[in-house]
Amino acid sequence: MNRTIAMKSGDDGYMQELKGSTEYTGVHPQKFALWLGMASMTMFFAALTSALILKKGDFKSWENFRLPSIFMASTAVIIGVSIAMHAALISYRRAKFAAFRWLFALGFVLAFAFLLMQWLGFRALADMGFPLTGNIAGQFVYLMAIVHGAHIAIALLVTAIVLILAIRARRDPLYELKDVINPKRKLHMELLVTFWHYIDIVWIYLYLFLYFNYR
Amino acid sequence: MSAHTTTTADVHGHVDTDHIHGHDHHHEPTWMETYIFSTDHKTIAKQFLITGMFWGIVGGLLSVLFRLQLGWPNDTFPFLETFLGKWAEGGKISNEFYLAMVTMHGTILVFFVLTGGLSGTFANLLIPYQIGARDMASGFINMLSYWFFFAASIVLFTSFFVQTGPASGGWTAYPPLNGMRDIAINKGSGLGFDLWALAMTFFIISSLLGGLNYVATILNLRTKGMGMMKLPLTIWAFMFTAILGILSFPALLAGVALLEFDRLLGTSFYLNMIVVNGHLLDYRGGSPILFQHLFWFLGHPEVYIIILPAMGIVSEVLSVHSRKPIFGYRAMVVSIMAIVVISFLVWAHHMFVTGLNPNLAAVFVLFTLLIAVPSAIKVFNWIGTIWKGSIRLTVPMLFAIGFVSMFISGGLTGLMLGNSPIDIQLHDTYFVVAHFHIVMGVAAFFGMFAGVYHWFPRFYGRFMNDTLGYIHFYVTLIGGYAIFFPMHFMTGLPRRYYTFANFETFNNFNFLTQFISVAAIVVFLAQLIFVVNFFYSIFKGRKVDVERTEGEHTYGNPWEGTTLEWTAPIERIHGNWAGEIPSVYRWPYDYSVNDKPYISQNTPLAPGEVEHT
Ligand code: HEM
Ligand SMILES: [Cu+2]
Repeated sequence: MNRTIAMKSGDDGYMQELKGSTEYTGVHPQKFALWLGMASMTMFFAALTSALILKKGDFKSWENFRLPSIFMASTAVIIGVSIAMHAALISYRRAKFAAFRWLFALGFVLAFAFLLMQWLGFRALADMGFPLTGNIAGQFVYLMAIVHGAHIAIALLVTAIVLILAIRARRDPLYELKDVINPKRKLHMELLVTFWHYIDIVWIYLYLFLYFNYR
Repeated sequence: MSAHTTTTADVHGHVDTDHIHGHDHHHEPTWMETYIFSTDHKTIAKQFLITGMFWGIVGGLLSVLFRLQLGWPNDTFPFLETFLGKWAEGGKISNEFYLAMVTMHGTILVFFVLTGGLSGTFANLLIPYQIGARDMASGFINMLSYWFFFAASIVLFTSFFVQTGPASGGWTAYPPLNGMRDIAINKGSGLGFDLWALAMTFFIISSLLGGLNYVATILNLRTKGMGMMKLPLTIWAFMFTAILGILSFPALLAGVALLEFDRLLGTSFYLNMIVVNGHLLDYRGGSPILFQHLFWFLGHPEVYIIILPAMGIVSEVLSVHSRKPIFGYRAMVVSIMAIVVISFLVWAHHMFVTGLNPNLAAVFVLFTLLIAVPSAIKVFNWIGTIWKGSIRLTVPMLFAIGFVSMFISGGLTGLMLGNSPIDIQLHDTYFVVAHFHIVMGVAAFFGMFAGVYHWFPRFYGRFMNDTLGYIHFYVTLIGGYAIFFPMHFMTGLPRRYYTFANFETFNNFNFLTQFISVAAIVVFLAQLIFVVNFFYSIFKGRKVDVERTEGEHTYGNPWEGTTLEWTAPIERIHGNWAGEIPSVYRWPYDYSVNDKPYISQNTPLAPGEVEHT
């Protein structure tokens, strides 16, 4: 049957079916939907950064504002998240589940560390004399870090669920192999890791944007 | 079957695959899964429609109440106190509640009825049916989309019952009025506004989830042969509406997020040097104009998010009921695209009086006038479509024609307002109220009604009652003009005022104001006829004629339409088609061709027949 063929090719059976009977783009509809969602989120962050540009034109006190250096460190950490997640996905595809679990857990911990560092960044800002309710230049840093952090928090939540499932899964090689040939699960892993990459890149963009605007 | 057994652990994940195969179900859906947490696009469409109707009644009722105040500012209506309690002490609507009602009326109609109710209903019903798909790309996300809408509805409705009342700073939610939680200035800026913001956040999430699904489905799940240029115009409209929403709603979300930062965390993105009761507050450096940019960057596309689905529905209905191919299919598609692109470039026409640099305003004037071109092309093509057709003046057809009439009338005043020198005079007056209610409010409702009457047989296998439908149409058409046409002559009269009794100059509008209020009440009552007709017809409406029976399913084509939704069984079955999904061979507008009244999209080309391109 079709399903069997689909599994051998490592494809999601759904895609095989689409190829057979419909006009389509060649991208799995759920991936497609995620990309659209990322376009939407991009508009959200673009709106925030445009707001900053609009505000910047008419306010003087931006001049003595500097971004705390901890944000540079958190940016480095978030690059680490992306690398760990990507490596985890590669291990998953190759059915190296032990490595997958470690790398995935590493990514999770790094992302958590990132959030903590953002919070330390807030503390540093406040110490520098820019509390949340202070200078508007500082307010924008809080704003961007908080709304970005909310996206990270959602990704962390999903990752935590997957991680728990992965840790609790039976360590039986035959049983585990089922995961590789389970296209739905692979798809979901790919979606999750794509989202991690996306939201990491968003922070890098926000960081560079803030960095160059506050120079 | 072996493949299935290996994946039983994952049965849920594969449900959609199984449906595509048309396999038997692994388990019978429970009552809960069928009617409440359904992932079936037809049920979700009904959920959106019925929720939208609920909000339509609430929103309409609010307008009746504030029209009572406007029409008879010196009278009291004791029955109001019974219903509204302290909001109408002594039978007189309070100033504060008046503003709350105007605000909620706008929010409800714009977002909950004409966006959620309209797109949610018809995109869900028609996308899978008309492109030939078993369901949406993700039934689960589709279900989430409805339940976020539901959550938004609950939150918004709750806000009517809080101590300080619902939001009352206008549907546009401008700061600084809405930027501080100071109920001494404005009661609705208290908890009511936070609930408004929460409701809008849920609403935006709902419409994004829905939109992602619509686009992914249209681009990926079309049946064999259904090339993009064979899509009915409804589908083109839904797709571009979704794209527009995906790209513009985030700006509103950002705007509202900043607003809540200001309100809850004490930042000052929108606030600067505010003086309340002689005290200078601490806010520094913000700008309320920033909010207007973020709001209208969504706000203008939003009006097209409302009107495009109506346009799609009207294109389809006009063609079917005049038994003629749509005039200028390609031009229609290109116009939709042009509208989508240009609608991102005109937002500041709502901000001509904010001190916008006049040179910049000129750019926005240019793009604003430019958007009239694709709009006019569409109008021309609709008229071209019915021109010399064998028109069947059915109820949906009348509503579709009414749509075109309203869209022209309201579009003309848009052109006037699009010129900044004129707009500076007319901004925030009843002239603007007339413009957008005719072009968007009434027109979009007409599109929606055309759709409900036309696809009711698809929903329920029955027709709505004609006589009640005709009464509904004529009262709404005449009444709609009676309400909004006089407003064009109330130039200078500012909108959103509680009463004009204190202004000598405006006394000459007293008659018109009362006349409008009477018309509004009549039109509202006519909508109740529609509601009664709707529910009556679900149970008692005339059944669709059965043309043939295959197995346990019956087939019929109530309007002799060409599109795929009429090739599916009259019964609404899970997966839409009993056997294989039909393949498509021709465009959707083959009416009165080859000596046939109509040819369905799944009919192969006759030997020697040239495909329409
Ligand atoms: C022919 C093209 C159109 C032009 C040139 C146009 C122009 C304008 C302008 C300049 C305003 C601002 C008036 C003011 O506040 O001073 C306006 C308001 C408005 N227009 Fe249009 N319009 C057009 C079509 C439409 C359509 C098709 C819709 C909806 C389907 C629409 C909905 C609205 C709404 C809702 C407002 C008022 C929003 C508010 O202030 O509450 N317009 N229009
Ligand atoms: Cu506009």
